[in-house]
Amino acid sequence: MNTDKMLEIIGLNKYFGPTHANKNLSFSVKKGEIKGLIGENGSGKSTLISQIAGLYSSDSGQMLLDGKPYSPGSPIDANNRGISIVMQELGVIGSLPAGVNVFLGRTKQFTKNGVVSLKALNKAAAEQFEKWDLPKVPLSKLTDGMMIETRKIIELARALSVDPRLLLLDEITQSLSMNNRNKLYELINKLKAMGRSVIVITHDVEELIRITDTITVLRDGEVVGDVVSAETTPDEIKHMMVGREISGDYYRADTTPEYADKVVLSVRDLTVPGEIENVSFDVHESEILGFCGLSDSGIHSVGKAVYGLIKPSGGSIHLKSKDLMIKSASKALRNNMAYVPKDRDNEALMIRASIHDNFVLPSLTELQGKVGYLSPAKLKKMAQDMTDKLSVKCTDIYQTIDALSGGNKQKVNLGRWLAKDIKLLILDCPTRGVDVGVKAYIYFLMKEAKNNGVATILISDELTEVLGMSDRLIVMKDGTVADVIRRDEDFTEQSVIRVMI
Amino acid sequence: MRLIQSKQNPPQEKHQNQAVFALLLIAVIVVISVIFNAVSGGKFLDGTNVKIIISHIVWPTFVAWGFCFLFACGYTDLSVGAILVLGSFATTILGSWLGYPGVILGGLIVGILLTFLNFNIFAFTKIPSWIAGISLAMIYEAVAVFFKVNKTTETLIYTEMSKSLRYLGNLPWSVIILAVGLLIAYIIYNKTTVGLNIRALGGNKDVAKALGINITKTLLMVGLICGLFIGIAAIIQQSIAGRTLVKTGLTSINMVFQPLAIVLLAQVLQKRLNIIIAVPLCSIIIFAIFNLMTIMGVPSGTLQEAFLGAFLIAFGIIGQRGYKGVVK
Repeated sequence: MNTDKMLEIIGLNKYFGPTHANKNLSFSVKKGEIKGLIGENGSGKSTLISQIAGLYSSDSGQMLLDGKPYSPGSPIDANNRGISIVMQELGVIGSLPAGVNVFLGRTKQFTKNGVVSLKALNKAAAEQFEKWDLPKVPLSKLTDGMMIETRKIIELARALSVDPRLLLLDEITQSLSMNNRNKLYELINKLKAMGRSVIVITHDVEELIRITDTITVLRDGEVVGDVVSAETTPDEIKHMMVGREISGDYYRADTTPEYADKVVLSVRDLTVPGEIENVSFDVHESEILGFCGLSDSGIHSVGKAVYGLIKPSGGSIHLKSKDLMIKSASKALRNNMAYVPKDRDNEALMIRASIHDNFVLPSLTELQGKVGYLSPAKLKKMAQDMTDKLSVKCTDIYQTIDALSGGNKQKVNLGRWLAKDIKLLILDCPTRGVDVGVKAYIYFLMKEAKNNGVATILISDELTEVLGMSDRLIVMKDGTVADVIRRDEDFTEQSVIRVMI
Repeated sequence: MRLIQSKQNPPQEKHQNQAVFALLLIAVIVVISVIFNAVSGGKFLDGTNVKIIISHIVWPTFVAWGFCFLFACGYTDLSVGAILVLGSFATTILGSWLGYPGVILGGLIVGILLTFLNFNIFAFTKIPSWIAGISLAMIYEAVAVFFKVNKTTETLIYTEMSKSLRYLGNLPWSVIILAVGLLIAYIIYNKTTVGLNIRALGGNKDVAKALGINITKTLLMVGLICGLFIGIAAIIQQSIAGRTLVKTGLTSINMVFQPLAIVLLAQVLQKRLNIIIAVPLCSIIIFAIFNLMTIMGVPSGTLQEAFLGAFLIAFGIIGQRGYKGVVK
């Protein structure tokens, strides 16, 4: 037995009904190793780390922790053995304060005579933020309404509060903006220096190679590759993931902005107190206008305010193509605008409804007959056509959305708008949590929309994405526009970062 | 590097804000009372009338606290009114046998046992709680009818409690019980593991489960806690009113209309004030309005309820102003 191995997985299997999610999986993690786990959406990564974290049981196979059999009965059991997890979509409890969320399920340690000392709990939570150098959050404030990034940091603090020997991170970097992503990298290095191990799942291949020691590649629930990060390339990883060659350059190849003179939307002095201030810009026909910035730059608020989801205190949103002012989301929707939010599970999709319902709902007006009758056959055809066109991996169109992988959810989320006659598309982190294959497809759809004259506002925490796709890039800082850079100017990460910081 | 929403000593700040808001609300109640008094020609703040208002807020406040736990875990139980009826019957019957211990035991045993039973049904059958609650309400109403008159043709029944057993409904006892209830509810809801677990369950069942919270055990604890408050409510209600009327056909739901209104109002306020503290203050507001309308001769059963409904909607709209509730 190699005692250097902290965790060893031998022939692990997991079934969900007829679906064989993990097939005879075997791999190991050494002490102090940063292990990357990558694969297409639905390849079994999240299932695997859920098994390690005690969220799912295993149907067969064995896990060894420090050479001894390890079969956690619950996440608390895993925590007690020094393993904790930050899940991609799990989240926090909105109706409870941030501090309580850090220790939820483990509040007994702060209980005396049956009463939980919230003072002691908040103090301990603050100590965790301090110890791991995490960005501070107001611990007594309810997490409801907090930014998705802040909530992820609370989840990270929760996972770190068990002082893990093995930390499992499931696609959390894509919820973080650049500054907090750097903090996470520092944290991973710190854990490594302490002799702790980390398993990282991310769809950003370049990032994975940069921050890990070794990478295990999964495909259809099986291990198809195990490589040393320093000795591999993004293309090799992508090839292993999908079983065929994928072009490394799926962004736009041109270096000049190409869009029509016609302004579709004109925003002037848009102000949302505490979020954005005097933001002005125009979006043109066939233009992809990118927005980027650090976590407190306000880029996500721009998308919501432009679509009428948050009420600005000042400024105007003029839809030039229709010569009207946008003051509500319903007005925006009626006038050929669409918005794809960052938090797809909570804000975009009807998560318990079927693929069919999610596809048809935004297009009911177009699908209804003369007297308002909705033909079931017509609805089914539309949903089926879109499912086929977007290659949504599912059992049928009546499968509920929550059973789909992240990438397939996003195909439905984005695709249902592209089925309509959209003139202005607002995309907030459209590739969050999707694999390289789906990413490439989403970029293809964006290019197709651009060619069809659609104006797109692309808001993203991924610098490479906005640089790769935008005609012009608005860099925001502290809620204001810091700079506007054209594709044919100094359109590089370095120049953008200089403005952002 | 900038920090996300960092603050100095936020817990203290939060508690100070809550205390200020509670004091503000009390001040508003005082001002409104003075106005009501002027409108009613001095009848509203008459000593006897004030005692009536205070006495009558106690049992609905206990039911409302029970609802706070029920709603916090994401469930609905429409059989609470029927449990109150059966609890009231039990206080009278056991009271006539055992005196005050019987009064107390009757309400507590029926309240806790039946609510606990309900939550066993919710937890193990997975029937949506509002459907199961209606079915259970019909059963409990039928049991009440059968239990008291032993013939189902009798549609309107009641039970009367001896005056010598009704001191718990009188001042100052009812207010003392209210104060103790406030303390217990506040501690359980805010400062116990079970209280936090209940709120976690209502917030996101999947997250709660992933954090190792035992869902079934937590649900059953809700049954016990909620049952405790409903049991106490039954004791106070029977002690004040002396009798409880019931008909079959889900009429028992009428008994929980006012507690529901109280919780709704408290939920509107809970962004600024802890819901457990907000409940008794909201009880005073609602009963003060009902009392004034009664003094002014507004007919009950029609206009009073219509006015209350309109008041709740107006209050809800004001309470939601400035609430963002968005996930950025």
